[in-house]
Amino acid sequence: MRKILYRFFVDFEKEEKWVNEMGAQGWHLQKFSFGRFTFTKGEPGTFIYRNEFISGMSSNEKKDYFEFLKDSGISIINELGGWVYMKKAAADGPFEIYTDTKSKIAYYKRMLNIFALLFIINAWMGIANISIFGDKTSFEFVNQSVGIFNIAAALLIAYPIIKIIKSKRLLEKDLQFFE
Amino acid sequence: MEEKAPLTEGVYYILLSLYEPRHGYGIMQFVSELSNGRVVLGAGTIYGAIKTLVNRKWIIPLDEEGRKKEYVITDTGKLMVEYEIKRLCELYNNGLAIAKGEDLP
Repeated sequence: MRKILYRFFVDFEKEEKWVNEMGAQGWHLQKFSFGRFTFTKGEPGTFIYRNEFISGMSSNEKKDYFEFLKDSGISIINELGGWVYMKKAAADGPFEIYTDTKSKIAYYKRMLNIFALLFIINAWMGIANISIFGDKTSFEFVNQSVGIFNIAAALLIAYPIIKIIKSKRLLEKDLQFFE
Repeated sequence: MEEKAPLTEGVYYILLSLYEPRHGYGIMQFVSELSNGRVVLGAGTIYGAIKTLVNRKWIIPLDEEGRKKEYVITDTGKLMVEYEIKRLCELYNNGLAIAKGEDLP
């Protein structure tokens, strides 16, 4: 039995939590694309699901990393737009990709670099496109809607950026006392 | 001064597990056994650590014959482990001396 759900999450951690809740009910993630999640019915709670932002890896590095994950008993569900979903049998024990403060901070930094770049590009394109409004060109309407789209995208990216910065700060504070 | 900087628990155990050649999952299992399940390293954490350790030449990848890539510690890596053991001994002895009233080393 298959179920397709359309959900849009601004918060990638909430999305991962939701995918795990679906799995606990026996709905196992089969495939994800932008806002579209395909589940198949199975035994409840047999897998733990994790997402990871891997954008910025070269294709060689990615191949190497995926191979490594597979060797560690992790299956890749699919990869799209810089994101990957993976799962591991719950019977194998706890499943976290990053288990110490330092590697978590490094992951957040990698994410922030790319998210910040996307934010700047969108905000800048948005302002540029909207400010062309008023120019008497035939593309005036196109420019304005593209501009609004860019600004909306920038605002959506701002949410995870702020969240990641907060989590990263907490971890860095931790690091003064604990490993 | 980097040689004298404390290693993370993860890096220390990864280096120890590579006194014998091992692949990523082998490291994960060995470290978990060695620490009686206390230290379970995530795949992302191990992967990142391996990349850094290879760059520093503390470990080297062995020639790929099978599909799974194996790594082994280098002499530099062993030196780092020895520095770390010295540091841990100091911490341990001073800790016992002050907290348990044993003789200062």
